[in-house]
Amino acid sequence: MKIRNSLIALFLTCAALTPARAQEKVVVQYDCIPNYANWGGVTAQYLKETGVRVPPDMKGSSATMAALEQEKTNPQADAAYYSAAIGYQAAGKGLHAPYKPKGWDAIPAELRDPDGLWWTVHSAHVAIIVNTAALKGKPVPTSFADLLKPEYKGLIAYDDPTIHGTSFTFVYGINQVLGGGADMNKGFDYLKALDANIVNYPRENSYNDVLRGEIPIWINADGNGLKMKWTDKAPVDVIIPAEGTVAAPLVMALVKGAPHGDEAKKYLDWCLGESAQKTMAESFFRPIMNVNLGELAAKFPPASAYRKAVAPPLNEMAANADAVKARWVKEVKGNR
Amino acid sequence: MLKRFAAIASGPLLLAVLVVLLVWPLICLVSGSLHEGNSGGAWTLDNYTAIFQTRSSRVALFHSIWISLGVAAAAVVICLGPAWLFVRHDFPGKRIARAVLTLPMSFSGILIGFLCVIMLGRIGVVPRLMEWLTGTDYFSGTAYQLGGILIAYFYFEIPRATLSLESALRKLDPRLELAACSLGAGAWQRFTLVVLPQLWPALLATFALTFCVSLGSFGVVLIVAKRFSLLPLEVFEQIIAFNRYPLAAAMSVVLLAIALCASLTARWATHRLTHVR
Repeated sequence: MKIRNSLIALFLTCAALTPARAQEKVVVQYDCIPNYANWGGVTAQYLKETGVRVPPDMKGSSATMAALEQEKTNPQADAAYYSAAIGYQAAGKGLHAPYKPKGWDAIPAELRDPDGLWWTVHSAHVAIIVNTAALKGKPVPTSFADLLKPEYKGLIAYDDPTIHGTSFTFVYGINQVLGGGADMNKGFDYLKALDANIVNYPRENSYNDVLRGEIPIWINADGNGLKMKWTDKAPVDVIIPAEGTVAAPLVMALVKGAPHGDEAKKYLDWCLGESAQKTMAESFFRPIMNVNLGELAAKFPPASAYRKAVAPPLNEMAANADAVKARWVKEVKGNR
Repeated sequence: MLKRFAAIASGPLLLAVLVVLLVWPLICLVSGSLHEGNSGGAWTLDNYTAIFQTRSSRVALFHSIWISLGVAAAAVVICLGPAWLFVRHDFPGKRIARAVLTLPMSFSGILIGFLCVIMLGRIGVVPRLMEWLTGTDYFSGTAYQLGGILIAYFYFEIPRATLSLESALRKLDPRLELAACSLGAGAWQRFTLVVLPQLWPALLATFALTFCVSLGSFGVVLIVAKRFSLLPLEVFEQIIAFNRYPLAAAMSVVLLAIALCASLTARWATHRLTHVR
């Protein structure tokens, strides 16, 4: 009897709660990692301003593309967020619907698709993020070459590039940073040598592991490291490597057949607006729109730090993405 | 009346569930593994040959088999002790000990992977304790090496092996041992000549169970594996990173076939042991 009563109570509670949930408006964004580019803060801000919820989603760029492709006939997501090359690739597979959000004209032409299949929302650069406390007195590396030193054995990680776009950008771009040619051998030679010092290729975002010191050195977007440093007040240094670095534009797109298409368009418009762009900048990803960042501006590294940054053409990156990922699996991860 | 209705209704219901959740997905899986492209295409066996021709998936398959075999053997041997204690003896704290050993049953693999990192990660509890005791952080980063995988998988299998062995031991007739005892058999003789022959089927069944669970487990290795890839992780990667469903399906079918072989072999051996004397 007791069980029956509690079951009835449970049922009534659920019934009472359901309408509230059903009325709540939702936009589903694939790749909405709270600790990446401050998506946690951005979506909280959107909820505050509009009452529309954008739930967190832990997929990386490539995982997002795979999910959209799998759900092609029955789309579940409204918007998608990627590292630019993977977004470009996904657009080529016909996974996006064309849309030109408000503010479209302010985006540089090379950072958006002419038909509106994707556009940049902010950009970052690949950097070496170092938890200096976890290094226990070892010198802070200042270049990609430093990372090959035996003293860093088991201290370095970068996310699995077959899943996460930022890591893919690094794996693709390192060849050009080091002056390699079209065969990409120089880049892969470096990655193979670096493998000796790698503790893990995490498949989930590693932000908290770096904060705790479980991962002392993380190759990822500079903005995430700067957020650790300025916002979390962690003993973190963000190193722009001496050899140069890779530009990492991040893009958004409207998913083809989005179940909440109209809400998604409003949200995508808002993401280019001043309040969203400023909130993104709180994670030190450079807004694509010209917004006044106030005090934040001084906490960004100076433009001169990025003098030697390379920006591989997105069409080439997208065209070679699958081949580069496969080569990484074969030669770097599978190099036992 | 209600009883009869339940009996009549449950048959077709069970059949429907079986078809929807097992037969139909299996047909899709096997058919998918035999096609060229993600949405059909020509019939082919290439996906199966690719598993054995690609070094990474071949190695992953090999690792999957021997790690699962090793963990299953260790689980059966080591868990026999506690299972015996729980069935035959009463001691203070027995309920707590039993709860502690069987609790991980409810943990997902991912959770166990995280626990492993917390304990044996680069700054895990164990290396920090070691550093405090000896000045050197032994076991730092063990979680990401072969040792970490073996420990995590073993931990994953403890509750399964213990519970399975416990129920088998409970069915043993203690009077047979008493009889052996009164005939002058020592403890070792009683174990090898009386208990073990009755227990073989249960040991085999437990071995097969833990082997199959380890073989299919994915969450643990998702968190801890660096170099050691296992086949379930390769399936995940083929889908997530490369969008190659046919290959992923072929890998799944291979895993299924191995698990099926293991449980059929265990059954066959049990049959031989219990009927051919």
